[in-house]
Amino acid sequence: MGRLFAVEIVYRGIFQKTLAKNISRAIVLAAHCEGKPGISFGRYGDSPERNGIPAKSFAIVATDDLTLEEGMAKYEPKEVDISIAVDDTLCKGVESWAWYGLQPINRLTKPGGTLIVTSREQPETLIPMCHRKEYPYQLAIVKGIPSFSGLWVYKDDHTDVRILGAIARLLPELFGLESVQKAIMQEWQDPVKASSAARSYERITSVTVRPEQGNPEEPYKFELPKWWEMGEGIAIPGIAPGHTMQDPESQKSGGYQPARNPTFKKFTTRTMRPVVNFDTCIKCTLCWLQCPDSCFDVTPEGLYDANMEACCGCGVCEAVCPVKDCVTMVNEIAFQDNASQWEMWRKDKPVYQAWLKEKIEHRPERSHGFRYRGQYEEQVPEMMEIAREDGA
Amino acid sequence: MATLTDVQPIPKLDPFKGVKKLPLEEFFTSGHRTCQGCESALVMKMMAKAAGPRTIVLGSTGCMYVANTTYYSTSWVIPWMHTQLGSSGSAALGTSAALKALMRKGKMKNEPINVIAFCGDGGGADMGLSAISATLTHPDYNCLILMYDNESYANTDIQLSGSTPYGAHTTFSPPGKMKRIMHHRWKKNMAGMLAAGHPTCRYIATMCMSYALQGMNCVRKALSIGGPTFIHSLDPCPKGWDYDPYLSHEMGELAVTTGVWPLYEVEEGVVKLYGKTKEIAEGRYKRGQVREYLLKQGRFAHFKDEDIDYFQSKVDEMWEKWLIPGVIPFRKEVEADSPAAR
Repeated sequence: MGRLFAVEIVYRGIFQKTLAKNISRAIVLAAHCEGKPGISFGRYGDSPERNGIPAKSFAIVATDDLTLEEGMAKYEPKEVDISIAVDDTLCKGVESWAWYGLQPINRLTKPGGTLIVTSREQPETLIPMCHRKEYPYQLAIVKGIPSFSGLWVYKDDHTDVRILGAIARLLPELFGLESVQKAIMQEWQDPVKASSAARSYERITSVTVRPEQGNPEEPYKFELPKWWEMGEGIAIPGIAPGHTMQDPESQKSGGYQPARNPTFKKFTTRTMRPVVNFDTCIKCTLCWLQCPDSCFDVTPEGLYDANMEACCGCGVCEAVCPVKDCVTMVNEIAFQDNASQWEMWRKDKPVYQAWLKEKIEHRPERSHGFRYRGQYEEQVPEMMEIAREDGA
Repeated sequence: MATLTDVQPIPKLDPFKGVKKLPLEEFFTSGHRTCQGCESALVMKMMAKAAGPRTIVLGSTGCMYVANTTYYSTSWVIPWMHTQLGSSGSAALGTSAALKALMRKGKMKNEPINVIAFCGDGGGADMGLSAISATLTHPDYNCLILMYDNESYANTDIQLSGSTPYGAHTTFSPPGKMKRIMHHRWKKNMAGMLAAGHPTCRYIATMCMSYALQGMNCVRKALSIGGPTFIHSLDPCPKGWDYDPYLSHEMGELAVTTGVWPLYEVEEGVVKLYGKTKEIAEGRYKRGQVREYLLKQGRFAHFKDEDIDYFQSKVDEMWEKWLIPGVIPFRKEVEADSPAAR
């Protein structure tokens, strides 16, 4: 038997759909250039995709047809040579359409395999975000702002080919740089893209992540009832009514916290989170009212605390808030937990204000795709600049 | 002999007086797998809040079925049941009739229970039109059919529907190199059509949840007026319209302020424009240019100036030439041509 290669691309639904398709397709095309057959496909269970909800594509390549067939007999690979996360906030784990519970980003990464992440961060930031594994693996970072566009307009900032170049360096048995460049020319007829791949090939480095490194938390999971265990007419229980909240300091109760769907939390969809300045809040209700995910808990004093288990980071609260700097969206990278901001504020207001200031000041910019025509043309040069500086 | 209409109690739902007086309770809660910034999920939340706890919701296939109730998972606090794509009308009528029968036979307490069936634009404006129409002709059953219109078959990745606006990029209408506009049909005028075609239907309205209070009060009126009612809600869709989700609220406002989406109610046969639409009609608010609405959306990114101009001219026509601006697309000349009928 020959050798089977498997690569998974974990991406943000819709925002990075075209990017993920470009990468998985080009992996197979580059492998074809070396006479290796392969197939690229999106995970069926992730479809229909939703904005931001993590999804997956796979590229499966083999040294011969029979090995490929054997590999394809499995619905999806049980382990992969390379896991690619095209957005660094995915390192916190993913709760996808096709899965209940939280999956570590490196779950399928083989012993000694590589996790490639698109990020502006250093390994010291990303490693603690990824769940621990029992064996060592490699982490490689393709420097850049995670590339987000939408369903119809693609932001061609060369993230796709830079990842291809990195793969050629990290897994030379799969394909070499020459094949990558040949595939790029066939696919896009763009010599600039080919040289972006080469630059990434030259500069990519990786570090070893040891078993004692990473997030020690046990990812939450659910045991779902089987279909024969459901009620008559395939009925399931509804969500319970909500309840009042209790102030941790004064023990006063009031306000309202809705009960929430226990089997899907949605927070791994988030790439930015709202931070709330409770001291400037005028209790206008708009964030609470306009949140499509009902994520705001109403506190006993009538403030609105964005619940970080339920918030998916759409940013509508920031958009509708009439107060300047009351609700601010901050890159999810800056946070380690889903703790209540209101409780932190109730405990110690000056400490909270300092925390808030620090989070807002140190946020790397992010965006969620299309805002106006011409925006991508403005953003691409910045990305190309980061690509040029990468490793320099 | 009592008529059947007397048997079914109608809930009393006064309009909400302001955002600060809204009930805190949620009857559609967190944990649905919709897109970030999904305005249709927001409509579900507001609709349930407006209707209150004594409500049964029926949902046609679409985003609000698939995303909200994946395997063994739900975000509904109130009872919810799936119904087929084209059958929101039949499901609403059937449920209302069943409640009525159970109450008449004394098998259920005689009390007002709201019945709401929702459908998307694919399930409503395309597939479910005949069932909705049939339901609206039955004056004896209290039920609301709410069409959440995200202007495409969004659940299955944005195929063109009868509600998709002119020229929009969808999976079925990708702009090409030779031909730029692959969709040249104008959006179906659902609420106007249903209002004109169902003279005994007591309440039909359009809404947009960017104007939450007005929208919720439409729902409350529709549920408490008696008989079958219909609401057409325009829901900006970050996935299919291709815009940054934080713009969801603004996109709904723009649809209204540029005049693309007129807000109106037809109550007991009387047309009333409301909100910003009313202000525009009365000259108190200057209608915006559609350009500022269109160019924030990736689905119109291929538009050239001539396409924007055409779009603008069609919206202008709706405001300047329609018999009732934004509602009934007949020309005023008709009135002048046929005085004999009076």
